[in-house]
Amino acid sequence: MAVARPAWRRTVLAHARTVLDALEHLVGGLGTALLAFIALLWLVLAGLLCAVGVGLLLRSTLPRVVRVVAERERARLSRWGPEIIGMGPAPARVSEAFADRVVRRELGWLLVHGTLGLFLGAVGATLIVQAVQDVTYPLWWRMLPPDQASPSLVFWTVRDNGDALAVSFFGVLLAAVFVVLGPVTARLQAWPGRRLLAPPPDVDLSLRLAQLTANRAAALDAHATELRRIERSLHDGTQNRLVAVTVLLGATRRALARDPDVAAALLGQAHDAAEEALTELRTVVRGILPPVLADRGLPGALAGLAANCGVPCRTDIDVPGRCAVSVEATAYFVTAEALTNISRHSRARNAAVTLRRHGDLLSLRIEDDGVGGADVGKGSGLAGIRGRIEAHDGTLTVTSPPGGPTVLQMELPCGS
Amino acid sequence: MRIVIAEDDPLLREGIALLLRAESLDVVATTDSPDAFLAAVDAHEPDVAIVDVRMPPTHTDEGIKAAVEARRRRPGLAVLVLSAYVEQAFATELLAGGPDRLGYLLKERVGRVEEFLDALHRVAGGGTAIDPDVVAQLFTRSRPDSGLDRLTARERDVLALMAEGLGNTAIAERLVVTEGAVHKHIRSIFAKLDLAPTDRADRRVAAVLRYMENTRG
Repeated sequence: MAVARPAWRRTVLAHARTVLDALEHLVGGLGTALLAFIALLWLVLAGLLCAVGVGLLLRSTLPRVVRVVAERERARLSRWGPEIIGMGPAPARVSEAFADRVVRRELGWLLVHGTLGLFLGAVGATLIVQAVQDVTYPLWWRMLPPDQASPSLVFWTVRDNGDALAVSFFGVLLAAVFVVLGPVTARLQAWPGRRLLAPPPDVDLSLRLAQLTANRAAALDAHATELRRIERSLHDGTQNRLVAVTVLLGATRRALARDPDVAAALLGQAHDAAEEALTELRTVVRGILPPVLADRGLPGALAGLAANCGVPCRTDIDVPGRCAVSVEATAYFVTAEALTNISRHSRARNAAVTLRRHGDLLSLRIEDDGVGGADVGKGSGLAGIRGRIEAHDGTLTVTSPPGGPTVLQMELPCGS
Repeated sequence: MRIVIAEDDPLLREGIALLLRAESLDVVATTDSPDAFLAAVDAHEPDVAIVDVRMPPTHTDEGIKAAVEARRRRPGLAVLVLSAYVEQAFATELLAGGPDRLGYLLKERVGRVEEFLDALHRVAGGGTAIDPDVVAQLFTRSRPDSGLDRLTARERDVLALMAEGLGNTAIAERLVVTEGAVHKHIRSIFAKLDLAPTDRADRRVAAVLRYMENTRG
């Protein structure tokens, strides 16, 4: 039986979380506010230098500086509220930037956040630091030199434990103030960003849209290549088998009346062709998505391949999360083909499979200590898989000097 | 009748050869690529070629190109093209030089041995054989204002069989009507579609296909 938490405890926990979130947001906001402040100083400096001519050289950096700071705030705000989409690169020329409404709104935000936001962040951070310092004051005030024993924000001189305890109560008071005002302050600090950094309702987002469309088109292209591969294996493999079955059956029917022996032989061939069609179909389906990937994920599937390899095979797999299904399938097929080759041809004593993820890149390395001289040219099973890798914008390199060792390295964008 | 087969799938290639030889037809060569097929056409001087559309190296339309080239090298060669699926572009490309001695069938039609042999003999005899599915697709793709909607249901049946390459007698047999009735339907169809009335099978197919080609939506 589950024990329900008392209602008051849940309320307290929820409040504590709100206060901690507020603290995190205020400190994060303090960070971008500092950046905004520095950017403001940079703008003023460049403006002053323009008056004497030197600043003209700095002019071209201004839109980019504003945009970089604004993008940081967009990303920060997107993490804990409604998403604010990024605006991509800033206009290159100052004149274009001033004509751009997005940039003008960013300038307005810079002004507010670099001053008021900075102030709010500083007040919030000071408040909490002071509260912690004052609450714990009775524990360590005796270590201070007697003439400096009064903390800031406290107006009485601390001479004995009673005074120190009063400081502690004052600290609790400060903490209470933060509990009440912290969340409001954090929202207030974020407000200019939420208002001014969001795209104006009627702004032209076509450029941004074009970028997203291009990424999507590339993904769809890889997908289309994959579909074409499946269509081809169905039409050229499975369908041909089945047509052969119908041809042989048709011939059987014609032969039945004339020569039952011939008919029997034809029927046997038709049977074989039907079984071949089934095998072919199974191969095509497995080629689309090996069932083991869905059951055990890529690490489990690769470990299974390594365990079944004819050569002792070490695995070192460290991939957090999952990649796109077709990417995982490709990594699986490369490993399966490579391990088959190692078992058959390499005469290796040891093999190793290493799988890592670096950012958006899935990196697979398969090596053995065999005789080398592997050929990825025509006719090898890897040649077909290379096409699959390239369809995903990946690369496959094989180094296999005579005498070994053979190293197969694949890099594949994860697509997730 | 000397026959050359071009089909890259070994099982299907041997299956078709076996079927034809069982019918006492003379299969003089079986080939698995466009180049080998053209060489066989040069070497064996066949009367009929049976060609798969998808062949190496790219498995797209090599068979169509090879068929066109084979007819250029050996005018009078009858060609029966086998396709994995209905693709009107293939049919159009193939029929561009006129529909005499040409056939375009779906692969699965080969299993209907009587129909397949019928189409083979028709093509070898100078006629045309278009797969009913291809014809049906031509019909569904034609524009609503093409005049096809003015035809009666029975006239549409007759037109479809004409487009497949059947003669009046065969159409009458299929529809279980008299030849005179078929003749009447055809005159009515030509009148409604503004086609020149003629009875020669190849001309009729050419006229019908061209008409549909021009009015495609």
